[in-house]
Amino acid sequence: MTEATGTVPESTREQAPRSLRGLLQALNLDTRLLGMVGALAVISIGFQILSGLTGPKHDIFSGTFLTAVNLYNLAQQSVSVGIMATGMVLIIVSRNIDLSIGSILGLTGYTMAMVQVIWIPKSLGLGFDQPYTWIIALAIGIALGAAIGAFQGFLIAYGKVPAFIVTLGGLLVWRGLVFEEQQGQTISPLDKTFQLLGGSPTASLGDVASWILGILACAGIVYSLIATRRKRRKYGFPVRPTWALGVLMALGCLAILGFVWIMNSYAWPPGLATQYAREHGITEPPGGLQIATGIAYPVIILIGVTLVMTYITTRRRFGRYVFAIGGNPDAAELGGINVRRTIMLTFVLIGILAAISGAVQSARLQAAVTSLGTQAELDVIAAAVIGGTSFSGGIGTIPGAVLGAVVMQSLRSGMLLLRVDSPIQDIVVGVVLVSAIAFDTYVRGRSAR
Amino acid sequence: MVNRRLASLAGVAAILFAACSGSSTPAPSAAASAAAPSAAASAAAPSAEASAAASAAPSAAAGGCVVGVSWNNYQEERWAKWDEPAIKAALTAGGATYISNDAKSSAETQANNVDNLISQGAKVIIILAQDGTAIKPSVTKALAAGVPVIAYDRLIEDPKALYLTFDNKLVGKLQAQAVLAAKASGNFAIIKGNKADANADFLRSGMVEAGIPEVGKTDPAGKIVIVGETYTDNWDPANAQKEMEQILTANNNKIDAVISENDGMAGGVIAALKAVGLAGTVPVSGQDGDLPALNRVALGTQTVDVWKDARLLGKAAGEAAVQLCASPDITKVAGTAPFTSPGNNTLTSQLLTPQAITKDNLNVVLDAKWIDKATLCQGVKAGSVPVCN
Repeated sequence: MTEATGTVPESTREQAPRSLRGLLQALNLDTRLLGMVGALAVISIGFQILSGLTGPKHDIFSGTFLTAVNLYNLAQQSVSVGIMATGMVLIIVSRNIDLSIGSILGLTGYTMAMVQVIWIPKSLGLGFDQPYTWIIALAIGIALGAAIGAFQGFLIAYGKVPAFIVTLGGLLVWRGLVFEEQQGQTISPLDKTFQLLGGSPTASLGDVASWILGILACAGIVYSLIATRRKRRKYGFPVRPTWALGVLMALGCLAILGFVWIMNSYAWPPGLATQYAREHGITEPPGGLQIATGIAYPVIILIGVTLVMTYITTRRRFGRYVFAIGGNPDAAELGGINVRRTIMLTFVLIGILAAISGAVQSARLQAAVTSLGTQAELDVIAAAVIGGTSFSGGIGTIPGAVLGAVVMQSLRSGMLLLRVDSPIQDIVVGVVLVSAIAFDTYVRGRSAR
Repeated sequence: MVNRRLASLAGVAAILFAACSGSSTPAPSAAASAAAPSAAASAAAPSAEASAAASAAPSAAAGGCVVGVSWNNYQEERWAKWDEPAIKAALTAGGATYISNDAKSSAETQANNVDNLISQGAKVIIILAQDGTAIKPSVTKALAAGVPVIAYDRLIEDPKALYLTFDNKLVGKLQAQAVLAAKASGNFAIIKGNKADANADFLRSGMVEAGIPEVGKTDPAGKIVIVGETYTDNWDPANAQKEMEQILTANNNKIDAVISENDGMAGGVIAALKAVGLAGTVPVSGQDGDLPALNRVALGTQTVDVWKDARLLGKAAGEAAVQLCASPDITKVAGTAPFTSPGNNTLTSQLLTPQAITKDNLNVVLDAKWIDKATLCQGVKAGSVPVCN
């Protein structure tokens, strides 16, 4: 995330910064990413104040947006769109579009539910809640997502049919198949283990494991910063000043550990704690049982997907090819890149990601309904674009898209907290989307001059 | 070149005949069987038959009673499974023919679909409206063409259309009564359906009859506080789950009861309650008799499921359509009565009575073969519910 494009100018090396601009230059951070973090901060504080004013106490301090429980929910609510947005970046970067992911999510989610509720227990007669059910369901779902992606990708890359058309067709076809599968019935309840993918206080890491994960992540940041620095130095590239390196490490660790701390400070709701105590024969202490929730499983899935996708795009040949194709398809072709294969693979990838989202979504709802993932494509494209992915191709980052998803979901759940009705929510999200892109284009145009 | 064109013409003619095969007139079906093989044998003959077919098609459709159904969203659980077969059975029994199309949750598409049904020769049209106001011009057009309209399950504010539904106000009342029986006071949340669907407000007004304060009003006795009330786009369960999560957050989990207007949304609400350990302690309502919802009633996480046996509604619609085919006067249809709508129109309507299903009368849905015992009792602890033993 910290390895953004561009190099540090020689002049800033090992010098104390004189201005904010100098400071940012020395840290060599992606300014767009910083801008989004800033926007997120503004949104959060805004909702915090508004929710306080409209709350029962009518003051600016009693807001509910920046509470551990809301942030915990927000993290979970962002997962499904976030996962798919990481794939959408590659699609848009290579100058394509995928309108079918909402329907792929629906079809894979529904199929996984069928596997665990009908096929394994009833058709094969193996019974409910077998230990292997969840993994078989997940594998079938992911395979189906990959197959659908490969099929669409093949038509686009080898058949030369525009992606817009192929995936528009897919949007209709896959949604139609959802219905054909079981005549539109709601499928529920899902397998107990599979439900853990959806997250809840009982499907979270708990405090100890969360801290361990946070510390490991922190160590990972420190290590990767040092390793990159060493490599750059070896090849004679300019590096950040030592103090800037220290600041970066501190900021990264602070962000991670802060996140872990917030997730841990959300204690199990009293009802759940009482239930747990009763089931495990524990007598509750006077103040009630305090169990720290920690990071929810789906959030860990999102973090994992983000890391893997970032690695693929920035460290693997495939990722470089995608960006090269997006920058100039003809030059990429002449340069010996197998453009068609690369394009097809981006669609396979997003098919897989849609299936993972389908698993998380249905597990979260604890049911598969035919409307699963309806209009998700719009939220995902918006998240990728708000996260700095350019429709003219060649530009975009994975962490940016995930942040974009968080921004979108913050707006939506913030407005729900304020009891804003759904039509107004849509208006606000639409206005924010267009103004964010307009602002971004303006800034980019100015800096290019 | 000419041969190919003629052959394709013959093919088109064959398809046309196939489409009309439901009609009772014997002549065209004989021609269709003749047209298909001759396409390959002779080039001149099929073209003559094709023109004969074109003139024969409309008269064929005019023969029987064709009833067109415009579904708003055929992808929801109940329509295909319960309503459509019941309508079809009643129509077949009355000697009528069934045609249909699906608007896929789009009011514009539905307007086109209604026109389409008229041009396909429908003598009566049954509409499950996506938007009860947006569909009005189409209804006027159908009535002008001499085609009576049945507003199926959802209101259309047109006094000339027959309104056929379950008593939705009563549904809301039954939901509220069952929830109030479990929890008579405290913080209530109300999860309503789609804003453009009049049923969302009918249900809400039924709740008022049961003693829930009106929107924006407080309970005179001060016992019931509505701490969250919201419409839900397209009755989407995933949206309902998010709404419930935010209501719980805004109220520090102090929610005593939830009135959800249907089963799908109740599923989302209960998933949100489960995450904070309140599922099973906070009463939740629903309607539609969705199978997972009835299972939740048996499990105790859902308090009530107001069941509207869709087969009765489908049957009533089919029978009414057959009667309208014979005589287009909607007031002559058996079992109708005047009904004052929210728009202050006096409609002719037939209201069926819904039934509240709770833990104590689950045998009703079992006896009606609406659900099988294995599905109803999945995961239920032995001895907790009598019907599951």
